Amino acid sequence: MTFGSFIRTARERRLADDSRFSLRQVAQRIDVEPAYLSKVERDEVAPPSEATIVRLARELGEDADLLLAMAGKISSDLAEIIRKRPRLFAQLIRELKTMPDHAILRLVREVRDGDW
Amino acid sequence: MITLESDRLVFSFPEVHDDARLDITFQRTLRIPDDDRTYPLPPGLGQFPLRHVDDFGARVPENWRPRGGVMLPMFQSEALWISFGRGSGYPFAVKVATGKINAVDGKPWVSGLAQGPQNYMAVPPQPWLDGYCVAKGVIRQFVAMPLGEGYTAEEQITGEAEHGGIQIVAYPMKREFYERMQREQEPRAQWFGVPAPAAARAVSSMGLAPGGRMRQHIYDDRHGLDAWDQAHGSRCFIAIANSLHWRAITGEAPPTLPPTARDYAKANLPWFDYYDETPTVEGAGALDKLLSVVGMGKKKGKAPLPENESADAGVVVPLGPGKPGPRPVREAMLE
Repeated sequence: MTFGSFIRTARERRLADDSRFSLRQVAQRIDVEPAYLSKVERDEVAPPSEATIVRLARELGEDADLLLAMAGKISSDLAEIIRKRPRLFAQLIRELKTMPDHAILRLVREVRDGDW
Repeated sequence: MITLESDRLVFSFPEVHDDARLDITFQRTLRIPDDDRTYPLPPGLGQFPLRHVDDFGARVPENWRPRGGVMLPMFQSEALWISFGRGSGYPFAVKVATGKINAVDGKPWVSGLAQGPQNYMAVPPQPWLDGYCVAKGVIRQFVAMPLGEGYTAEEQITGEAEHGGIQIVAYPMKREFYERMQREQEPRAQWFGVPAPAAARAVSSMGLAPGGRMRQHIYDDRHGLDAWDQAHGSRCFIAIANSLHWRAITGEAPPTLPPTARDYAKANLPWFDYYDETPTVEGAGALDKLLSVVGMGKKKGKAPLPENESADAGVVVPLGPGKPGPRPVREAMLE
């Protein structure tokens, strides 16, 4: 699924229950022109900037990292993390690429539950 | 499992279902006046920072270390609300306590879920929790007070100042119930929707006490107890550090104090009301009997809440599936 069709589907799903998710109103809330958002939804123009994608994700209740990835972008905070230790993270990501989700989740730091 | 992601507690249960994920944040807000009035919902003013207690070993009080969990900073007499944030829409049963006193039924912390009275919230539809459920449709706001001075719900109910902080456990819906719900194409609930190290003994622990009255419903669980997968709950202890000590513990500045309710109202900034036609639970008698911070202060001959003047909430924005308002989120932008 393309970036445009994904956000159009997500917006129209919400529009079915709530008229505030019309193209015009969503465009107004994320501070772009309706005509531009329409073109984005039809994949006639390149995906918008990171900041606009993050606003759009928030508006539609979608995951910003997912939308950025679909737009071929990476969030600036992640880019900064990689820039600080490029070799380490490049190696790590390559080694994780074929690992199943549940195994990757085990690498994530959990909040420790102790004795209370 | 629980992870900490950008000041959000993320409860996820991939062993139950890929969608079983719940984000919980702690929102900064105004302290509503602790007077005779019942106020609408104050805004969210951003998230409290959250940090792993384990990362600050000797800088935190000794009794925090065995508990694990996370910590956040609050000024004395500052308020907060807990947001059960936008997520996958997967249903959860969430139990919240302060000082190990359940904020919904007013009873001491026990493991597991119960009904008659209901001791948890079903999320959705519950979008947030601002305080103790003292009556049907009314809560008393969570207000931070130092442990040991007798104001907190824990101290008023147990007579002890042992735990403080906030305790949360979340249970996902059983996979088969969720999949049945999806097959029945039930509409998804809408989501509406922060110098030198000090000696640990100098860091004071905070607890939460009942503050001003606010209109807020705790919704009945329409799924029933059997819907929840109590074999897969995850729990977290959230310790509360006095903001004055936050920098000494973490090296970071705490958030600034929010405006007073009166200043906020004078600026004509929005308050909120949430409309949902789901039936709601009764208030807990044990919680309704608690003295509010001002009430306890009077008993002690003290004035514990500065700037407690009444406020007139002028602009009240309706939220929620029962009465869609112009804004889908409960936030205010302060210049």
